[in-house]
Amino acid sequence: MVQLFTPYQLFCLALLAITAPFLSFILSLIFKKIAGALGILSIGISFISSLILFLGIWKKQTLHFAFHWIELGNVKIDVGILLNDLSVIMLLLISFIALLVHIYSVEYMRKDGLKYRYFAYLSLFCFAMLSVVIADNLFLLYAFWELVGFSSYLLIGFWFSKEKAVQANKKAFIMNRIGDVGFLIGLMVMLTQFHTLDLSALFGSENLISSSFVKNGIWVTPFNTLPSYWLTITGFCFFAGAMAKSAQFPLHTWLPDAMEGPTAVSSLIHAATMVAAGVFLLLRIAPLFNEVVLTTMVCIGLFTAFMAATIALTQKDIKKVLAFSTISQLGFMVVAVGVQDQAAAIFHLVTHAFFKCLLFLAAGIVIHELHHLKEKHQLDFDEQDLNNMGGLRKQLPITALVFLLAAMALSGLPFTSGYLSKDAILVSIFEWADLKGGVYWIFPLFISITSWLTTFYIFRVVFKVFFGEFRLPQLLSKSDLKIHEPSSWMRVPVVVLGVFCFGFFFAYNPFSLDSAWIYQGFIQQVHSEGFYHILVPLYINVLSLALIFLTYQAYANKKIIFNLEHTWFYQLSLNQWYFNDFYDVFLMKIVLFKASVFNWFDHNIIDGFIHFLTDLVIWLSKISDWLDKHAIDGLVNGAAALVKRIGIWLRGMQSGKLQHYFIWMLLLFLSFMLFKIIV
Amino acid sequence: MIPLQHFLFISAILFCLGLFAVITRKNAIQILMGIELMINASILNLVAFSRFDKVDNTGQMFALFIIVLAAAAVAVALVIIMNLYKRVKSIDPNQSDTLRG
Repeated sequence: MVQLFTPYQLFCLALLAITAPFLSFILSLIFKKIAGALGILSIGISFISSLILFLGIWKKQTLHFAFHWIELGNVKIDVGILLNDLSVIMLLLISFIALLVHIYSVEYMRKDGLKYRYFAYLSLFCFAMLSVVIADNLFLLYAFWELVGFSSYLLIGFWFSKEKAVQANKKAFIMNRIGDVGFLIGLMVMLTQFHTLDLSALFGSENLISSSFVKNGIWVTPFNTLPSYWLTITGFCFFAGAMAKSAQFPLHTWLPDAMEGPTAVSSLIHAATMVAAGVFLLLRIAPLFNEVVLTTMVCIGLFTAFMAATIALTQKDIKKVLAFSTISQLGFMVVAVGVQDQAAAIFHLVTHAFFKCLLFLAAGIVIHELHHLKEKHQLDFDEQDLNNMGGLRKQLPITALVFLLAAMALSGLPFTSGYLSKDAILVSIFEWADLKGGVYWIFPLFISITSWLTTFYIFRVVFKVFFGEFRLPQLLSKSDLKIHEPSSWMRVPVVVLGVFCFGFFFAYNPFSLDSAWIYQGFIQQVHSEGFYHILVPLYINVLSLALIFLTYQAYANKKIIFNLEHTWFYQLSLNQWYFNDFYDVFLMKIVLFKASVFNWFDHNIIDGFIHFLTDLVIWLSKISDWLDKHAIDGLVNGAAALVKRIGIWLRGMQSGKLQHYFIWMLLLFLSFMLFKIIV
Repeated sequence: MIPLQHFLFISAILFCLGLFAVITRKNAIQILMGIELMINASILNLVAFSRFDKVDNTGQMFALFIIVLAAAAVAVALVIIMNLYKRVKSIDPNQSDTLRG
């Protein structure tokens, strides 16, 4: 195929794709009136550039442009752009999702007084995230990684007058810092071992990672040697960074709280940007991980997926359910990275981005419309509580339809994108367990349970929100409560995303993983066409369909009523496994106790010493002050007083009377004479 | 021949009288007269000394000089007194104390 663009032009396009949102960030803060238009324009430019880049690079070439930046001894750090398959697919995904979210936000934030700031932050966020995926070395990646964290902090706390939002953004920031420390340590070890952080040098063809090896407990690289456990530590450090960003146990608690931000932001953070960054990092540096780290990754990923899915079962807040669903799905991706099926991880990342973004945006419509209702009728209810909804499919038909589509994709039903990507991960785990044997069969078991739980919780939301009776009029005993579909600013993005929930976009045959082009693009080893490929999707989906029927009976028809509210597992789930309480009670107590000890030490020992010193100085200065006043000044004043007295006395002679002068003269003369006579 | 001491006594008495007049009088003219007395006492001294020293009559020469100078001084002093009177309408030296410190 003929190349339409030269590599240099592609490089310029990549630069354009990241600078457009950055310019929009700056200009939005200056030209406040047109901030929304600027945001959409800039992300549109990014999207078009990304599309051209994708067409020029996908499966064809890898481009790497770098300039010298820092040179410390024999360590060189470049600044540059690395465009390979992974970069361009992420670029395309991020810019596309961000474009839709921008358009959606125009309506969602229409009444907000600080709209310009919202769009500025959104642009900054996109800039950071786009830069993360095309950064060519780990150092640059780390810098933009931090910027992603910071801009998410700004966005989560966008409604900064809400106390909960402020708490949530602080929590997100601190949790991310914990992971970032790991990332930074990992960077240092890499720098020691390989003397470079360049991604293509480390992980590209003829890479440094494959030329290093572990022998006799020593990790040998062309530059340096370290004990082999450092390889494991490095892997864990990078994984810790990814864990914080991708909200994996035990650093997951920030993500549900991050729901305090505007819903459109939650959608962007959860679908394509922030949480994807963690998985993206794992994919970028996947060859680094050794067996121990990979197995840990599978354990943590699976535990996170399972835990989050159980929590999502009972949450009352629609956004909380979706938040835990995100954590759960990210767990799936981490598991996929852990079993070294990176193709499945990327594939699921992409498909998940579409349907999770759609779920959030559709939930945003419901919340937005209920909020309008609340303002219009001066009512008081929680517009995010599932118990206040119900039967909304009559009033929001399009939203209900796309939400249902996304829910189907999330539970991995046939014909949807989720069917392809989720089942790819499931199949990988089955094969992995088959390879390992024995105890490892617990992993496929739990991932299957998690998968069914996913179906259950998302259809619980679907039926509670869109089916059955609208509960709000009964609860508030008002009959004329009507809501309607929002304007097309909000409708168009969700419909576009809804279309992308179908499997046809990702594979021409929506039942066969082999025709999934994203999956095939990253596949590393050829899968044996085992019976898992048929069996796993079959048994997962059959049970899923049964579960959907069950949830329909339970939440739409009210034929089955669960009476579990007082059981321990219901409470465990409702209270999010008590992780927040655990952190509050134990970790916070320890930190606060330490802080109080240090406070005491500071107050009593350090301050005491300082106070003692100040007292000493004050006493010394008092003494010197006394000396100054009485000795020095006394001397000076005494001399002055003496002179004054002499002056006064001498002045007395100048009486102005002629005869007095005469007498003085006489006396002087006489005394002179006397003096002459005596001496 | 009258001894030198007698002259010196007379001259000292004259000087003291003049001095007394200068110090005590409230009238500028009288002070001037006191000054004249003191000058004449010193002239008397000089003349007496020249009588006992006959080498080149230095004492008499000085006496003549002093007489002339005294005359001139009196003229000047009288003019000063007249000007003083014009300024302060009084010839009491105590009245004009503008030089008082």
